Amino acid sequence: MKGIVPLFLGIFGTFAFSWAGLTLIPNYQIGHLDPQMDEEGNDPYPAPKSGMAERGRKIYSANGCIYCHSQQVRADYAASDIERKWGVRRSAPRDYLFDRPVLLGKMRVGPDLSNIGKRAPAEEESAASPASTSPAPSASPGANPPAPTSSASPVAAPPTSPTASPPTSPAAASPNPAASPAKTVAATSPAPAATNAPTASVSPAPANPPASPATTADIAVGPGGAPPMYSAAWHHVHLYSPRSLVLDSNMPAYHFLYEKRRISGERANDALKLTGPDAPDAEWEIVPTYDAKCLVAYLMSLDQSHELKEAKLTSAPASSPAPASSPAPAKEEKK
Amino acid sequence: MNPAEIPLKAPTSATVATTDSDVTNRDVEQVERALIDASTRLPVLFFYSSAIVWLLLGTLLAGFTSWKLHAPDLLANWSFFTWGRIRPAHMNVMVYGWASMAGIGTAIWLMARLCRTTLRHPLLLIGGAAFWNLGVLLGVGGILAGGSTGYEWLEFPPYATIVLFVAYTLVVSWAILMFRFRRGDAIYITQWYLLGAFLWFPWVYGATQIMLFVVPVQGVMQAAVTWWFANNLLFLWFGAIGLGTAYYMIPKVIGRPVYSYHLAAIGFWTYALFASWTGMQRLVDGPFPAWMITASIAATILTIIPVATVGLNHHMTMRGYFGLLRYSPTLRFTVFGAISYTVFSLLGVFLSLRSVAGYVHFTEASVAYSHLGLYSFFTMIMFGSMYYIVPRLVGREWRYASLIKLHFWSSTYGVGLMVLMLLVGGLAQGSSMHDPSLAFSESTESILPYLRGRSVSGMLLTVAHFVFAFHFGLMLLGLGRTTGVPTFLNPQEEEAVKNHI
Repeated sequence: MKGIVPLFLGIFGTFAFSWAGLTLIPNYQIGHLDPQMDEEGNDPYPAPKSGMAERGRKIYSANGCIYCHSQQVRADYAASDIERKWGVRRSAPRDYLFDRPVLLGKMRVGPDLSNIGKRAPAEEESAASPASTSPAPSASPGANPPAPTSSASPVAAPPTSPTASPPTSPAAASPNPAASPAKTVAATSPAPAATNAPTASVSPAPANPPASPATTADIAVGPGGAPPMYSAAWHHVHLYSPRSLVLDSNMPAYHFLYEKRRISGERANDALKLTGPDAPDAEWEIVPTYDAKCLVAYLMSLDQSHELKEAKLTSAPASSPAPASSPAPAKEEKK
Repeated sequence: MNPAEIPLKAPTSATVATTDSDVTNRDVEQVERALIDASTRLPVLFFYSSAIVWLLLGTLLAGFTSWKLHAPDLLANWSFFTWGRIRPAHMNVMVYGWASMAGIGTAIWLMARLCRTTLRHPLLLIGGAAFWNLGVLLGVGGILAGGSTGYEWLEFPPYATIVLFVAYTLVVSWAILMFRFRRGDAIYITQWYLLGAFLWFPWVYGATQIMLFVVPVQGVMQAAVTWWFANNLLFLWFGAIGLGTAYYMIPKVIGRPVYSYHLAAIGFWTYALFASWTGMQRLVDGPFPAWMITASIAATILTIIPVATVGLNHHMTMRGYFGLLRYSPTLRFTVFGAISYTVFSLLGVFLSLRSVAGYVHFTEASVAYSHLGLYSFFTMIMFGSMYYIVPRLVGREWRYASLIKLHFWSSTYGVGLMVLMLLVGGLAQGSSMHDPSLAFSESTESILPYLRGRSVSGMLLTVAHFVFAFHFGLMLLGLGRTTGVPTFLNPQEEEAVKNHI
């Protein structure tokens, strides 16, 4: 090769070509999207996530969930993602408008999570506004500093407390802040099992049922007592002890997101209802840390079921993937 | 340090010659080379030793990563040992700790040799190596502590990135200085690749950092930028250093010029043009305009041109000299790497085809592809260059031919088995994932035996790396053989080699 100038120019030129072609032009094309609205300018989609869910995204990326779980649904002609009920339409760039970091993923050691929040039970009521699906109504006020984002929970808390006579309180197990309809779903699950639902948002003392039924239920529940699949409670148990819910899962357990503590007085409302080898001794309980609650809030906020102009629904909105009283160890889904 | 104090490689003939006051050109060149080698001694050895320490650490992390995939409860109770942190830690240690540092070490030495000038300002480089180590250390610590950014290949938290960038500036400013003071007009093929690598790296790394963290792009564009970065890092940084090194080592060891400069030029420019456009094929069927993905697939297919020209060039250079593979460790590692480059690129073409990607997307096959590129191609060439360079820096020859052979064979079988397991496993995983009548868990179960097989292959690689590190340690301590004859893999036949040459 003669001369250094052509060499330098060539090195810069080829690379500038690639840089412009693969990042600048696409950025011009899809890098400045706005949320989609209906004719009246209502019903914007997507909406920014709540603060808790945003913090949950950080937990998600910090702990490398992305290396096993993708968050993108391929079109029905390209792959079987939609047939697997991972979504009702293909993902579009607009779905990720507010995502930072965007967690598309390129590996599926576990199932796709693009719509995991949508697939929670009692979804019919929550579909209207994705923002309000932010679950994990922030914990019992004493345990944690009130989240800056607890905007969702005040909605949920007042209705639950008055209605919370012990047998019906499972309503609180629903991840859905729209508490009243959710109750019907949750109530179908075996009554003793759900009495002491994790992550329930119950106002402090009065709503709390006497501790004894809860603890006995805790010991008594068999596999049938697992929380409804993909509910917030289910996610907590699944994160803490994946193989107690899905027998052949190879997901690691995230014990470090939970706190094991001796029960003082009564059992905490958000204590995990565990069975199998991971269940603590009688006097101990497992409660989610704030990080765990955020992570679950993030998972529950994942929903791409809203129709987009550029991506029509390819299958009818799937009904709840599992009956509310999911017969646990579910073989067919794995995470 | 005064270069004259350093025990030099093969100074004997030179001193003998000067006393006879009958100095030939050859003798002058030999002394000159020895002086250049001596001047690069400290920085190159610093880069190499750091790289090897990172290699060992990365190997241990790889073992955990692989093992935990089929034993998920292993060490699961500590947050910094959770699989989702160990995996990026392993990857980043290997990419930034091992591969980059080894590559820079080799590049420094090659640059000095090819510019025919002694290394100026070694402090710049030593500072660069120190900062680089600090950056990797901070980054890996950050990942394990839960500070990962969530972008694949770019998990290092921003504070580590800044340190890495300072380190890189020191290294590259040195490289430019070196190039400025070069002697002779001809710019050898290796220098094209090395200059390219030195200039492409800051661009691709800097542009990506800016587009992700300083002026972040929106939504899915972040993923596009990430994969544009990952592929360009693979091709234009590691690939360019690896190919450049192969272009130096193969002709050097067999003592014969490169077959064709024209082929080399075609190979280089088509490589720069097409390889830089790959990357988006990893997002196939994702939420992107289809043209981006198609453009990358087309570019991937077009990389067959540089692969064919480079492969042909090496092959024609080697023709008639393949017998030397029996003796020279450098040649054996380098040729293995060069062949792997062909396999790696062709596999990349195969995996990127849409019909195939439908099956292998989201499976372990992409891990096989990365390992083929970063290990089988790049790392093996780096091992080869270290076997050549280190004796010239420490003035000793490798002590045990048996250890080199053990290293070569366990690396070869290890990486071969790993790629095979992940590839076949990925296809099995993908075909069960593709079939909606099978439950999703079928796909994860179908790959489990292959993942166990991969863990076995990892043990082979672990043996290889510890053997190499031990051998390198002996060289550092000055425990190599003091002899003028390089260590051949099959020493009993070394006479035959001499006769042949």
